[in-house]
Amino acid sequence: MKSIKHHLMFILPLLAILLGVESFMVFGRVTASYGENLKKAYTILVVTRKPMTPEAFRKIDNNIDRVETIKRRSIVEQIAQGMSNISTQEILKSLPQFYTVKLNRYLSNAQIDVIKQHLIRDPNVRRVETFGQAHNANYNLYMLIRAALWMFVGFMVFTSLFLVVKQMEIWQLEHRERMQVMEILGASAMLRSGVLFRIALTDALIAALTTIGVFAFLRYGWVARSEIDLLMRKQDLFFQYKDILILLGIALVIVLVSVVLVSRNVKEVRDV
Amino acid sequence: MPNVISTNRMTLAYDKGEKEIIRNATFRIKKGEFVFITGPSGSGKSTLLKSFYGQLVPKKGDLVVGGLDMTNVSKKNLQKLRTHLGIIFQDYKLINEWTVAKNIVLPLIIAGYNVDMQQTQAQRLLKHVKLEGKGDMYPLQLSGGEQQRVGVARALSKTPFLILADEPTGNLDEYSSNVIWDLMENACDQLGATVVVVTHRIPTIFNIPYRHFIIENGGIHEVH
Repeated sequence: MKSIKHHLMFILPLLAILLGVESFMVFGRVTASYGENLKKAYTILVVTRKPMTPEAFRKIDNNIDRVETIKRRSIVEQIAQGMSNISTQEILKSLPQFYTVKLNRYLSNAQIDVIKQHLIRDPNVRRVETFGQAHNANYNLYMLIRAALWMFVGFMVFTSLFLVVKQMEIWQLEHRERMQVMEILGASAMLRSGVLFRIALTDALIAALTTIGVFAFLRYGWVARSEIDLLMRKQDLFFQYKDILILLGIALVIVLVSVVLVSRNVKEVRDV
Repeated sequence: MPNVISTNRMTLAYDKGEKEIIRNATFRIKKGEFVFITGPSGSGKSTLLKSFYGQLVPKKGDLVVGGLDMTNVSKKNLQKLRTHLGIIFQDYKLINEWTVAKNIVLPLIIAGYNVDMQQTQAQRLLKHVKLEGKGDMYPLQLSGGEQQRVGVARALSKTPFLILADEPTGNLDEYSSNVIWDLMENACDQLGATVVVVTHRIPTIFNIPYRHFIIENGGIHEVH
């Protein structure tokens, strides 16, 4: 019973850290995907006097990714119904060029204003429409989600690390005598820490496998059967195979650091 | 006979060295000798013993143990030396979560002996210290005298060339003390180990020749 309690005292904070890290990765992927969608949906409308190539736009500002020309003929044909062909041509000649500009990343309103200024400074550009208000609301929501996530995960990891440190202090008391006796009898640091390392490694594996299990279930069990189209299309955001390596790696690093710190802090007793 | 321990004007002190515990000690202990070191409480007997297994580095002078200069010994060499020593403590220093048998073969575990050899040696030593059938028990299930016999068995498990004992009978009754002294005599007489024992009192009945050093006021001198 005592042994289970001791294991749980290390497994639980480690589990909290790993769940925090995996949640961070999942939410990071979800928000990145959301940002990507926002970026794709966002366009700047540019009106120019003469036709411009995409390269010319990119020279003005390197945040510009794709440029699509809005076809004027179909618009003019609708307006000029019943007019002669010559009149349609005249309207087309007098009309400026229209472009929709896509950006290569999701930017704040201030950054978009800078792009707008760059575009307006070009003598060929007549007008730029950035639809700032709607964009700003989306961007602020996006940043709020990210900040909330950072705070939550940061708090979780900090609290859990504190518990791990506490557990290390308990280990130090529990293993001090054994490690000191072994040192006096000539055991190497590796051998002295061996028992502690095995315990910690077992606990770390349990914590890492539990976290992997939870998120694998989330992806292959819950999300796959959720019948929520949006989630089912983005299943891979919830768990990826590289996460296994990351979680095992983090667990191993925490174990190594903990054991090394405990071993270094256990010194030979020097009393008269 | 070669020297196992030799000191020359050795001074021992703790921490910043403000208080010197042992001053200008000069003596030699040869292979196969049995040596008692006595003195009042706090005189520095245990401190002297600690310097022999490298837990305390002399502040001044020379100390050579098993051919190693203890004033300038590397960590690796110190570890190696310690695996050839048998150390016995007043408070036994057994690992309570390990069985008696595993405690006895700890020096063999450290030296990397295989499990079969460990088990064979454990059975032999349990018989030697009269603890047959108690190998699977834990130290706290034994009496003080029995625990110290485990300590002696551990010290003998790798046939050390030097046995260092710090008040080995300090916490024991007369019967248990006699058993321990018999084992120590045997280690010196039969196995040829050098034995250095720090104690308050030399046993009244002791069957082999021994040397006797006394520590007084920081100085050490031999009683002839």
